[in-house]
Amino acid sequence: MTAQSVKWWSLIHKWTSLICTLFLLMLCITGLPLIFHDEIDDLFKSEASARELPADTPQAPLIRLIEAAKARYPQRYVQVLNWDDDRANVINVFLSETPEAPPGQRFLKLSFDSRTAELIGEDAQQGGLMRAIRIFHRDMFLGLPGELFLGVMGLLFVVAIVSGVVLYAPFMRRLAFGAVRRAGASRTKWLDLHNLIGAVTLVWLAAVGVTGVINTISLPLFTAWRAQVMPELIAPHLGKPPLAKLADVDDAVVTARRAIDGNTPVSIVFPTEARFGTTRHFIVWTKGTTPITSRLFTPALIDAESGQLVTARGLPWYLRTLQVSRPLHFGDYGGLPLKIIWALLDLAAIVVLASGVYLWLGKRKPSRAVAEVPNRPAVAATSGISS
Amino acid sequence: MNRLRQTAGDIFRWPFWLGALMAAGLASALFGDGGWDALSWLAMAIPLGVVAWKASAGPR
Repeated sequence: MTAQSVKWWSLIHKWTSLICTLFLLMLCITGLPLIFHDEIDDLFKSEASARELPADTPQAPLIRLIEAAKARYPQRYVQVLNWDDDRANVINVFLSETPEAPPGQRFLKLSFDSRTAELIGEDAQQGGLMRAIRIFHRDMFLGLPGELFLGVMGLLFVVAIVSGVVLYAPFMRRLAFGAVRRAGASRTKWLDLHNLIGAVTLVWLAAVGVTGVINTISLPLFTAWRAQVMPELIAPHLGKPPLAKLADVDDAVVTARRAIDGNTPVSIVFPTEARFGTTRHFIVWTKGTTPITSRLFTPALIDAESGQLVTARGLPWYLRTLQVSRPLHFGDYGGLPLKIIWALLDLAAIVVLASGVYLWLGKRKPSRAVAEVPNRPAVAATSGISS
Repeated sequence: MNRLRQTAGDIFRWPFWLGALMAAGLASALFGDGGWDALSWLAMAIPLGVVAWKASAGPR
């Protein structure tokens, strides 16, 4: 590599890093508790479990849960029903205050025993600290613009990683892998640590960075998909009066199960004015049963009036990519040990970011310490080594 | 000062293999539970161990 190209890559590395570092540090720090959000939630909020009943106790019809929810809150709107992820035999029904249920509105969550249809819990989902941390991590309380801004910061971070790899070679030319020079100036030691930790955690940094960027465009991706499929789905219903009576929701689930063989239903979106549904369909979301396919959700649309299957096509590639990128960002797909590894890597990333800032600060104010460093790698890099 | 002069192959050998191990760890827990998860923990713990070892090694 020529001295000139080392200079250019250094500039790229310096500026992309500098611009994104503050935000990346924020993401690493807020991300740390989020890795363990399941465990933390369990610690502070004990949700009631379903009663012990014989294993062969049949499931109650879903309509009984819906009727119970409506009877309890007649002025609210049933938006979504889901089978609880963590609690066996628990089904949650989510109610909104307005039919449109704008993004950010908190649904009232009613939890039912799925066999007896008795109400076992009620949660206004006020959220608290973990919710605030999650929103700050996602968009800094700025909504979509904040989310997209963090996506741009993520892209800069990816460029910083790539330029860091390129610069690794000239800096390491005279050093064995992992060598940390402690004898000299503190700046040399931190340069070596920055290179060591950055080089080893590189793949993880890139994976979490890229999947994070993909997550920031999830809302636009869903909007694009919706714009693509909705006109065709809604066309047959244009000009018709609003639904007078809904088809049987239990039949809708049976139809969905038959349409997407091998998948299990995870949730039902009821006919709604909200953006995540349609006014004319039940959307039965299903997932596969293997570790990979359980991350891939496929919707079945059921006509809410006739109960007929409308479509059960798989999602387009960009939404599949989004679905796969989620676990790779959250680190929640390999049990607690993987979460601990995720947290250690997150801490390592903080060290790389902070040492990067430290190195830049040290360079700006040439001090005695820097002058003392014999054979600075930057000198070696620019002293006519070609590759 | 040592007279070490490494080729690109020398420089990137260890980062490459540790990165490959990390990538295998990221992927394997996606493939399955149980053994696949354990494989993932092992594959990702090794690079972390290398960092800890190299970063904590005594003065040289």
